[in-house]
Amino acid sequence: MKSLSLAALVAAFTAGPALAHVTLETQQAPVGSTYKAVLRVPHGCKGAATTRVRVRIPEGVIAVKPMPKPGWTLETTKGKYEKSYDYYGTPTVEGVTEVSWSGGKLLDEHYDEFVLRAYLTADLKPETTLYVPVVQECEGGAVERWIEIPAAGKSADDYKFPAPGLKLIPKK
Amino acid sequence: MTRQLRLFLILLGLALASLATTGQALAHAALTKTVPADGAVIASAPSAFSLSFSEPVSPLVLRLIGPDGTSRPLTHFTLTDRTLAIAAPSALANGTHVLSWRVVSEDGHPVGGSVLFSVGAPSGAPDLAASQTEPTVRVVLWLGKLGLLLGLALGIGGVAFMAWVAPLPVAARRPIAGFLLLGLLSLPVAFAAQGLDSLALPLSGVLQLAVWKAAAASSFGRTALIAILALLVALLALFVPSRSGRLLAALAWLGLGAALAASGHASAAEPQLLTRPAVFLHAIGMAGWAGALLPLAFALRQADGAQALQRFSQRIPALLLVILLSGGALAIVQVERPQALLTTPYGLVLTGKLVLVAALIGLGAFNRYRLTETVVSGLAGARALLTQIIAAEIVIIVAILAVVALWRFTPPPRALAAAAAQPASVHIHTDKAMADISVTPGRTGPVTITVSLLDGAFGPLAAKELRLALSRPEAGIEPIERQAIKQADGSWQIGDLTLPVAGRWTVELEILVSDFEMTRLKETLDIRP
Repeated sequence: MKSLSLAALVAAFTAGPALAHVTLETQQAPVGSTYKAVLRVPHGCKGAATTRVRVRIPEGVIAVKPMPKPGWTLETTKGKYEKSYDYYGTPTVEGVTEVSWSGGKLLDEHYDEFVLRAYLTADLKPETTLYVPVVQECEGGAVERWIEIPAAGKSADDYKFPAPGLKLIPKK
Repeated sequence: MTRQLRLFLILLGLALASLATTGQALAHAALTKTVPADGAVIASAPSAFSLSFSEPVSPLVLRLIGPDGTSRPLTHFTLTDRTLAIAAPSALANGTHVLSWRVVSEDGHPVGGSVLFSVGAPSGAPDLAASQTEPTVRVVLWLGKLGLLLGLALGIGGVAFMAWVAPLPVAARRPIAGFLLLGLLSLPVAFAAQGLDSLALPLSGVLQLAVWKAAAASSFGRTALIAILALLVALLALFVPSRSGRLLAALAWLGLGAALAASGHASAAEPQLLTRPAVFLHAIGMAGWAGALLPLAFALRQADGAQALQRFSQRIPALLLVILLSGGALAIVQVERPQALLTTPYGLVLTGKLVLVAALIGLGAFNRYRLTETVVSGLAGARALLTQIIAAEIVIIVAILAVVALWRFTPPPRALAAAAAQPASVHIHTDKAMADISVTPGRTGPVTITVSLLDGAFGPLAAKELRLALSRPEAGIEPIERQAIKQADGSWQIGDLTLPVAGRWTVELEILVSDFEMTRLKETLDIRP
């Protein structure tokens, strides 16, 4: 019983920042700048090896260029944006909306990173968090969806499957 | 590695992790395997449980909730790698148990869940007919009901004699007035006991205002009100001249029918268009017949008694037909299956009543077809015999009413089946999604959960997946999670679930709208015992 209460104490003091899940390495970036997103995948789906990583590009993020990865097939889905965004003077109305790396095998006990580069338009609101939903597919049909976007007043910690987040700061 | 050391290392890891600014990516622990498996039915009680996680964990709370709802902490466990082996309490009862766990993983995030398993077979539905009221209250309630029924049947029924047979013999007035008073005195007793019964209070609670309010709020309140009026009108009818007396007697007679039709199992049954008139007619017929016996016995002592007897004989078959038809219709509605006559308490009461009624009809038929003629033709011995038989009939009628008053404690098979099947449901409406959740039946035991989804604007919501988690935090039950299966009609269903305890459950829906979109809905739902 002693260890139980001690563990409860530990939980109470440390249940702070979300260190779990699929996360972004750089968790803060100014709007109106190019951002290198490094997605860190720390584990498989309940023990099963990861075979595919899908990323939904949020609205307001344009000029997406994913980094190819040896052993993985890189695919992108293109689509129309909700509005026209300014990319260094060029109006942009469509582009990559989803990126997928598939065909590889990342064991549960291994760690890997998936990288893409994108432009955070100035239309994004500073002092908010930009969430990038990620779906992790694994062997045996298992799926982990890191796609929950916290409602106003809630934090990623309140959710079981929070999407990786990026704090936006004002343009430099 | 000892538990303490292991915990210290976790603590150290946590401290280091929180020092690093963006932190090393640690993970929430996810349950990967359990023994017994979630939802499993196992032949005999296990001696140990095990929970395996995707990450190292340390337990916070481990609890086992038994089929009777008792919760006990599980304190004997060992951690081996990522598996938590827990010693099971000895002598687990048959039925559905909940192993509720809450652990802290290396990232300091507590996670919890529940594993449902059944020993022998899943817990069945509990017995609905069981009452929580103490026996003395039930005896008083029964006596009150019996007194009221006697007042109605022999008191008002006796007064009704003058409405449909002949003027009341003067000597019959006193006993009839006695029965009317018995009815008037029994009413408050039955009324108070009704309130005590509905609040499950002991006899000493009779002075509480809430008891009387509860009785007034029940359908018996209406019965009591109409019955008082009918009894008073009948009392009045005894003492006014014959013409208006007959009118008042008829009025009281109709009031008796209305009083009994206003409450009770039979009146509450569907279809109302059939059952309420049937109860009304049954009560009128019953009181007419039963109430006529006392005046008849007194009339036989008088010279003109034969005339009254002759009229009664002529008119009773029509009344009997009304009694049998209305009673038969009600029995079919209430009992539903013939075997319920012997297998349910309600059916047994009805069977007992029918046996007594058959005896009564036998005696009545003997009176009518054998004795009446001899009495009318003036044989002296016949009158004495008939008076004796009528006395026996009155005894049987009191016995019938005593049996009928038992019905207050035996819900009919129809009502039991309906109460058991009644679902518990909840509607959740947010701007993103709407859900209708219905748990059938809405009580402990095996249930089926159906969920209908709509989007926030009442349009169809084509979800990819639906998961449902049920938890009962006050009882220490962490979420029991189930994947719903989409049905042909577009609704979602979960079939393999046994709810172990009653009370307010929290239900959470995890709706996967598309690959990248998830909506959560949360609400509470009351599950009956």
